[in-house]
Amino acid sequence: MSADACKGKPLIRLEGISKHFGKVRANHDITLDIRAGRIKALLGENGAGKSTLMSVLAGRLQPDAGRILLGGNPVFFRSPRDAHQAGIGMVYQHFMLIDSMSVADNVLLGQEKSLTLNPRDMQRRVAELARRYGLDVDPAAKIGTLSMGERQRVEILKLLCRESRLLIFDEPTAVLTPGEARRLFVSMRSMAEQGKAIVFISHKLPEVLEISDEISILRRGEVVDGFERANVPGEAELARRMLGRDLSLNSGPEAAHVAAPANAPASISRADPAEAVLPGLEEEIPPPVPEPRPMGWLGTDRQLSLEAAIYNRSQRAGENGQPEAEPAVPGDGNLNIEGVKRRGRGKLVAETEPVLALAGVNCRVPDSAGLTDIALSVAKGQILAILGVAGNGQKELVEIICGLRRADSGRVSILGRDVREFHANQPSRGGLGYIPEDRRGSAACPDLNLVDNFLLTTRKLFSRWGIMDYKRARQVTRRVISEHNVQPDDSKVLARALSGGNLQKLIVGRELVRNPRCIVAENPTQGLDVAATEEVWQRLRVARETSGVLLVTGDLNEGLTLADYLAVMYRGRIVDIFSIHNQAKVEQIGLMMAGAIAARQDAYGGQGCAPDPAGD
Amino acid sequence: MNGWQLIRRTEPREWGSVAVFATAFAVSLAICALLLQVQGHNGAGGVWLLLKGGFGHVYSYGEILLKAIPIFLCSLGVALCFRLQVWNIGAEGQYVIGTLGGCWFVLNFPGLPAWLVLPGTLAAAMLSGGIWAGLAALLRQRWGMNEIISTLMLNYIGIEILNHLIYGSWRDPAAMNQAVGPYFPPAAVIGRIWDSDFWLKHGVSEGTADFFFQFFGRAHWGVLSCILAGLLCSFLLRKSRLGYEITAAGSNPRAARTAGISYNRLVILVMFLCGALAGLAGFQECSANLERLEPNIVMGYGYTAVVVAWLARLRIMRIALFTLVLAGLRFGVENIEQDLQISHAFANTLEGIILITVLAGQLFNDYKISRKGRPAASGATGGEERGS
Repeated sequence: MSADACKGKPLIRLEGISKHFGKVRANHDITLDIRAGRIKALLGENGAGKSTLMSVLAGRLQPDAGRILLGGNPVFFRSPRDAHQAGIGMVYQHFMLIDSMSVADNVLLGQEKSLTLNPRDMQRRVAELARRYGLDVDPAAKIGTLSMGERQRVEILKLLCRESRLLIFDEPTAVLTPGEARRLFVSMRSMAEQGKAIVFISHKLPEVLEISDEISILRRGEVVDGFERANVPGEAELARRMLGRDLSLNSGPEAAHVAAPANAPASISRADPAEAVLPGLEEEIPPPVPEPRPMGWLGTDRQLSLEAAIYNRSQRAGENGQPEAEPAVPGDGNLNIEGVKRRGRGKLVAETEPVLALAGVNCRVPDSAGLTDIALSVAKGQILAILGVAGNGQKELVEIICGLRRADSGRVSILGRDVREFHANQPSRGGLGYIPEDRRGSAACPDLNLVDNFLLTTRKLFSRWGIMDYKRARQVTRRVISEHNVQPDDSKVLARALSGGNLQKLIVGRELVRNPRCIVAENPTQGLDVAATEEVWQRLRVARETSGVLLVTGDLNEGLTLADYLAVMYRGRIVDIFSIHNQAKVEQIGLMMAGAIAARQDAYGGQGCAPDPAGD
Repeated sequence: MNGWQLIRRTEPREWGSVAVFATAFAVSLAICALLLQVQGHNGAGGVWLLLKGGFGHVYSYGEILLKAIPIFLCSLGVALCFRLQVWNIGAEGQYVIGTLGGCWFVLNFPGLPAWLVLPGTLAAAMLSGGIWAGLAALLRQRWGMNEIISTLMLNYIGIEILNHLIYGSWRDPAAMNQAVGPYFPPAAVIGRIWDSDFWLKHGVSEGTADFFFQFFGRAHWGVLSCILAGLLCSFLLRKSRLGYEITAAGSNPRAARTAGISYNRLVILVMFLCGALAGLAGFQECSANLERLEPNIVMGYGYTAVVVAWLARLRIMRIALFTLVLAGLRFGVENIEQDLQISHAFANTLEGIILITVLAGQLFNDYKISRKGRPAASGATGGEERGS
């Protein structure tokens, strides 16, 4: 019935859009209608072509073939400016705002026609616009003082102020707290009701199901399915269509291609076979447990999904047949011994030494909360998740551990060595693996090929007397590419051509090749689709067998799914550290993240979780 | 122009860039012909003379080689720096200071055994050039000074130091009213490649000896240092871990730092290498060609080297190729300056026009032209200048 309801003329029609990057086919003959007053969700795996398609629509890329029809008339966008003028605006994941200017200044930047400015009038106009769409933000506030959610609202106001008729949201909830995400959805609905067309890109299926009027699924650069709200199938079916399992079962060469990585991998074989299942193969290797694997989706109702995640977590513990561990504070000697029993391998002496330990770390950072009195420790066999909304000191913490920033005071030791001494002379094997949040900016060289990118942190493994062994590096890169199912599986392509998820798989593979004994992973699955997220999680679970993992994440579900211990950060302090099994604390995480529960001074301070620095 | 637009190429050209260069070169020669015509000369004839003098004569090659030696060495160093995104345009100053370092060694150690003189002077030249470049690296790291400004300023300072010395304490009193240094002892002079006396003594006929004498002209054994430096740089970039680190850090400094590569250490290293190569170039030119310190050692090779490095897109084999082309061009311009009796300034203008046109043509390495409103077909060629 709703199919009839929207039979009106589309606001924008993409017709036969194709875009290639060298050998990579990002978009192929895509036709898509976008209608005023409706929210359209674009679903697809990493590298399915969503971002490329939206960049074409926003004028950042020019298509190789096909055209864009605006109200029935063909238009050609040479630049984002052309698209802007045609009423198409995009809310990017990385906000483009000037921190030192006010909200009103940012919204009206470049919009004011007169030579003189009237701040009060500007603020009034912005406030009015904000009220109309339910985007609550103080027009006089400086951007630098705002939360991520508020900044996003400013970005949206910018577009609304320019009277954009189509707003594109690229994974808008990735940087938001659950409450902020809810408010965003209310605003999006309000915008749609007032006649705006909205395109919403997300990996989180419950969100998509809740908010969108229609859903289009992209796979390998093509639109493979489209649904109206009335006839949307369930989450499981959507996920199936997104991943394209039919494809891998039906077409011979494709199936062989997908299956290839599962035959070879050495590292996967260490894992529980059920967990080694790759997308597209679930039917061939039936999982031994009837329960579906916990997926990385947050429910729309945070409380509900929290419970679900906790439930999943206990399910997982049960199915692995592990004895429930007594809740213990990380760094406590008991825990490590318990860890030995649980895993049943490794030397006792090595296990008692934490791989990473911080004590009394302080760091002043201009324009940020910095770090105050941070103490934590991670032992082999543990995953400690640092939870918190982005910008509460996680970045500084990671930088200090990874040798990119110096703490003002306190002790940081990695594998029993002082952090500075460790980084000055890092072992080429068994050291520190770092999976940064900003993949393209700080973990890859986009203009170099995959072998060179692979070598970035593994270069010392492939050189002797200062001479590189590129031949062996190429072989190992190819192996990592196939083991980690990186697409395109060609070591000669430039890293630029890889989608975010595939690049992340390569980076994770690269970091694990060195068998690190300590791993720092910073939002490792942000922006990744379901299958890639599962794969990365699986790698981290396997890596836990031989190393300690510090997982910094803004995604509560990720923390609950993976971690043994949780630490919540707020304004540069650790609010609390507790075991995943401490139900009472786990239920309070949301409050801790929002700063409603003050840091307990005695939570960790004197409990001996600091390493003994004398042990050099 | 309306109806046309530039679109960024998704894949850069490989050897197609040579075709772009050839096209741009042809265009620049056409402009030169036009300018010569306006000046009252035969335009086409002048350009023909330029090309023939630069590339078509038996004596062209020796001169090309002679000029190519310093340009190539400087360009190698500049390319190393540019690979790391360190915009060192100070090869000129490093060239001058390197020359002074070599001369200082020659003048101050007259009693050394002959076999030690040349290695010593070359080492002194490389060291002094390297330190001069290292100064800019230090300024950058300690006080955040932009290396483009500092290396440019250091060029002027270097040339002034040369002037100060040559008009002052290093002036040769025997040279009467000329501001030049004393002649080097024979042990400090780099020999020419073709030594007719030597070959005539070993039974080579006079005709053959004469041909090679013309062919090699003033070209000297500094060519060996070019081959050696080219091979070493090639090895450094292609095979060594250091070279990998330079490439990676140049491609994304932040990722390199995250991966534990010390960007600052690499900056100092490449700057020192560039200074050493430029210094070597300077002293070789001084020793082989002038055999004493003269103010006209300053020939602008350090700036030509920047152009060559850029044209060659920092690849070593292409640097060699473009060095030879630009050296020939220089010689060709000198040729018509004499033959057509045009002013030195005008000759320089012609050279400048050729360089700027060729550099502007680089646009077509990264962009292609297509009709507006129509998706571009891949494979637009560099020849479509009319659209820009």
